[in-house]
Amino acid sequence: MPDGTQTMIGQPALRIDGRAKLTGRARYASDEVVPNPAHAFLVTSSIARGRIRGFHLDQARAVPGVLDILTHENVGGEAEKPKPMAGGDTTSTLESDRVWHDGQIIAVVVADSFEAAREAAHKVRVDYEAERPSATFGSPGAEEEVRKAGEHKDYHVGDAEAAFAAAPFKVDARYGTPTQHHNPIELFTTTCVWNGSKLTVYEPSQFVYGLRGNLAQQLHIEPGDIHVISRYVGGAFGSRGGITARTAWIAIAARRLGRPVRLVPTRDQGFTIVTYRAETRHHIQLGATSDGRLTALRHEGWEVTSRPSQYNVSGTETTARVYACPNILTKVNIVHADRNTPGFMRAPPETPYMFPLEVAMDELAVALGMDPVELRRVNDTMRDPATGLEYSSRSLMECYDQAGARFGWKSRDPAPRSMRDGDWLVGWGCASAAYPANIGPAAVRVTLTPEGRARVQIAAHDIGTGAYTVLAITAAERLGLPIEHVTVELGGSELPAAGLAAGSSHTAGICNAVAKACEEIRQKLALAAVVTNDGALSGQDASALVLREGALRSPAGAKEDLRAALSRVTGGVLEVYAENIPQGLPRESIGKAYAGQMSMSRGHSRQDATTYTFGAQFVEVRVHSRTGEVRVPRAVGAFAAGTIVNPLTAHSQCIGGMIWGIGAALHEATEIDPNAARYVNDNLSEYLIPVNADVPQVEAILVPERDDRVNPLGIKGLGEIGIVGMNAAVCNAVWHATGRRIRELPIRIEDLL
Amino acid sequence: MDIRLTVNGTEHALSVDVRTTLLDALRERLELTGTKKGCDLGQCGACTVLMDGRRVLACFTLAVAAEGAAITTIEGLAGDDEPLHPMQQAFLENDAYQCGYCTPGQIMSAIACVQEGYAETDEQIREYMSGNLCRCAAYPKIVAAIRQARPLLENR
Ligand code: FES
Ligand code: FES
Repeated sequence: MPDGTQTMIGQPALRIDGRAKLTGRARYASDEVVPNPAHAFLVTSSIARGRIRGFHLDQARAVPGVLDILTHENVGGEAEKPKPMAGGDTTSTLESDRVWHDGQIIAVVVADSFEAAREAAHKVRVDYEAERPSATFGSPGAEEEVRKAGEHKDYHVGDAEAAFAAAPFKVDARYGTPTQHHNPIELFTTTCVWNGSKLTVYEPSQFVYGLRGNLAQQLHIEPGDIHVISRYVGGAFGSRGGITARTAWIAIAARRLGRPVRLVPTRDQGFTIVTYRAETRHHIQLGATSDGRLTALRHEGWEVTSRPSQYNVSGTETTARVYACPNILTKVNIVHADRNTPGFMRAPPETPYMFPLEVAMDELAVALGMDPVELRRVNDTMRDPATGLEYSSRSLMECYDQAGARFGWKSRDPAPRSMRDGDWLVGWGCASAAYPANIGPAAVRVTLTPEGRARVQIAAHDIGTGAYTVLAITAAERLGLPIEHVTVELGGSELPAAGLAAGSSHTAGICNAVAKACEEIRQKLALAAVVTNDGALSGQDASALVLREGALRSPAGAKEDLRAALSRVTGGVLEVYAENIPQGLPRESIGKAYAGQMSMSRGHSRQDATTYTFGAQFVEVRVHSRTGEVRVPRAVGAFAAGTIVNPLTAHSQCIGGMIWGIGAALHEATEIDPNAARYVNDNLSEYLIPVNADVPQVEAILVPERDDRVNPLGIKGLGEIGIVGMNAAVCNAVWHATGRRIRELPIRIEDLL
Repeated sequence: MDIRLTVNGTEHALSVDVRTTLLDALRERLELTGTKKGCDLGQCGACTVLMDGRRVLACFTLAVAAEGAAITTIEGLAGDDEPLHPMQQAFLENDAYQCGYCTPGQIMSAIACVQEGYAETDEQIREYMSGNLCRCAAYPKIVAAIRQARPLLENR
C-alpha cells in the first residue's frame, strides 16, 4: 500500500451517527416500529435450586388481554439451550422443569398490552420442589475444581516456588473482587417478527451473526431465514456478546401468536437473564531482589461459575507477562454454585486479575522502600516472560512518564498519611494497565460512485465505541474522499459478516477489512489508468498511484478525476467485496464469522510476537479522617494502543473505562443473599455506578505508538485498557492516604473507620 | 381512558390504560422513541422530558396525569432539516456521549438545569446532573457541553 496517504486516520472526527443519536432519531432495537406488537413479560424463579412441580395459571389467564403463557410444559421441546461463547455448557430455562439459579426465566406471559402482561405475570403461581442452594465461595455444596488448560493456558516457567522461598523481599497475600453487573442503560430487549418462515429479530447485539447462527440452531431453522437487526446499541460492555435464553422464547411466542412480540424486561431481570462478572479470589506471591527485580511470581485465582458451565476468565494469561520474571507459576480454579452463568464484562480477565498483581506490586515497592513507578521500570521488558516472544511494541514506561508528569507524581511524599488537607487524608496511587491486542476476521463491501460517494457495508457493531465513524474515516482516507461523502451501514445480518465486537478487537478487525477493500478499488482503478494509451496516468507505475481529494494521483502530480478513472473499469459504480483474515487465523475463520462462531487472534497466543496494549493509571483519593468517605478528585491515565483511528472517540472510550475502574474500586458490587443465592441490590439505585458528581476530573493521554507487526493498520484497540489497573491505583492511593491496605473490593467506609 | 397529550406542539388523542406511563405512551403509542426506558423505576433519568418547561421522569408520570401539559421530548428540539439545538450541538462537539442511550435524557435534563440556574459552576452542573446516569461514563464531557451551551441558552 503506498505510504504518505495517512491524513484522516488519527485526526479527531465528530461521530457521523451523532445527529441521529442527539435528536432521538436513532432506532435502538426496541425503538424499531413493528406492526401491532403483543407484549411479553418474563416470569422468573424465586428459588435458586430445585424443580418446578407445576404452575397455577388460571388467575393469570383471566387478566383481560392475556394471549398466551409459555412454560416448559407447553413449549419446552421447541428450542434447544443457547450455546455460550465460552465455557461450554450453560443453565437451561424453559427446556425443562429444572431451576439452576434465582431469577431464571420459567415462563413468558404475552398480552395485548405491557400493563396486562405485567399484571398477569405477577399472578402466575408456581409450586417448587426447592433445594438448599450454594451462593458463592465457601457456601456449603459449592464445588471447586482446578481449571484444566483448554480455552485458557497456565504458565510454568522456571521454579517459582524455590525462587519465592529464596527471595530476600516478598509479598504473599490474598485478594478478592466482587460480583458485578454490566447494567448498560438500554434494557435487554427482544422483538421478534415472523413473515412466513422468515424471522426478523431486533435485539441489541455485539454479534449479529452470532445471534443469527445460534438462534437458528436452537430453533432448528436455517440461519438464512433469520435477519438480526441491531443498528444502535445502548451500551453493551460484554453483556450482548453471546446469545441468551430469552430470544428463542420470544421468537416462539411470536410464532405461536402469528403476531410480532416485544419483550422489554425489567432492570432487575437484567441481573439474572444475561451474564455478569463473577466474583474472584486470588493468592499472589512475589519475590524480588533488593534492587527490585522480580525473581518469582505465583498467581492463583478462583472464579465462580454456574453448575454446568466451565466459564472462567483466567486473567493469569495477562498477569504472567506484564513484568520480567524468570520464575512464573499460574493456576486457576473454578467454583460451581447455584448461579446464572457469568460472561464477558469489560476487560473480563484483566479487571479482576490485574487488581491483585498491581496492589501486590505496590506492596512490594513499600517493602523495598522504592518508588512504585521505579519498581515497574526495573521490571519492564520488551520480551514476553511467559513465552520468550518479543512484544510487537510496548510503551508501558512512556505511559508512566507522560501520565506521571501530567499528574505531578514527582512531588509525592512516599510516607502514608503524609499528605493531609484539613480533615481529608490525601493519597496518590498508580498502577499498570495491560490488555491483549486482539483482532477478528471481517468481510466488507465498499461501493464507490462516479460522484465521489462511498458506501461501506459491514455487519459491525457500534456499541458506543464510534464504529460508524472509524469505518467512515478509514474509507474516506483510503478513497481520498471527505468523511461526509461516506455512508456506513452496520448492525444487521444482511451485511457482510464481521466478528464479535468484544475483546477490544473490533476497530482493528473492521478497519483493516475496509482498508483492504479500498486497496482493491485503488488497484483496479490504478491498473486500468496506467495501461490505457490516452490518460494522464498512462504508463505510470500503478503501485505508486493514490486516491486523494477526489482523484487518482501520481507522486509527480499527474491526476485523473474519479469519474474518468472509474469509467475505465465500470459503467456505473464500483463495488468491491473483501475479506480480511488476520495473521495467524485460518482461512475458515471468515466462514466461522458467517456461521456465528467466535474466532479471534489473541495478543497472547500469536506465534510471531506477543501483542499488547499498555497503560499507566494515576489517581488521587481523599479519605475523610472521621467519616471514612472516599472521593476521587482527579485521575490521569496514559495509554499506548498503536494507531488511533479517531482520537476523539478513543479519548471518550479511555475516560469511560477509567471511570468504570473508579466504580470498580469504590462503588460497584452485586450483593448476594448467602442463604437464598439471590442478588439483593438488583436495581440502579442500590447497585452503585459512578454518577456525574463522583468523577470531577478524569484525563486520558493517548501516547503515540507505531506498531507495524500487530496488523497492517497498526491498531491495537482500546475499549478496555482504560478500566484495567484503575481499581488497583485507587486502592494503592487509599493505602497512601490512610496506611490501610485493603485487599478486597469495593473499598467501603467500614474498611476505613 | 381517552386523553389528549400535547407533545412538541402537536395534540394527540389516544386511549390508554390508566396504568400507562407517559414514557410508554410516547414510545409505544406515539412512536416517539427518542425518550428512553432505562429502568422504569425513576432511577436512571433516561426518560427525562420537559413538562411545561420542568424536567420530569416520563416513567414516573402517568399518561393521564400529563394531560393538559405542554410536553417537550428530544424530537421537539430540532426538526429533520433544522440546525441542532445549542445543547445538542454542544454534546456533538464535546463528544458528550458514547452509546447515546442516556443522551436524550441528559440533553433534556441539561436544558432544564441551565434554565433552573443550576449550571453556574462545574460543581453545580455535576450535582444537578447526577440524576442522569451514563453507563458509558461520558460525565466530564457532559459537563463541558453544558458549560459551552449555557451562554447560548441564556441568550435564546
Ligand atoms: S426510565 Fe425513567 S428514570 Fe429510568
Ligand atoms: S452514552 Fe451510553 S449511557 Fe450515556
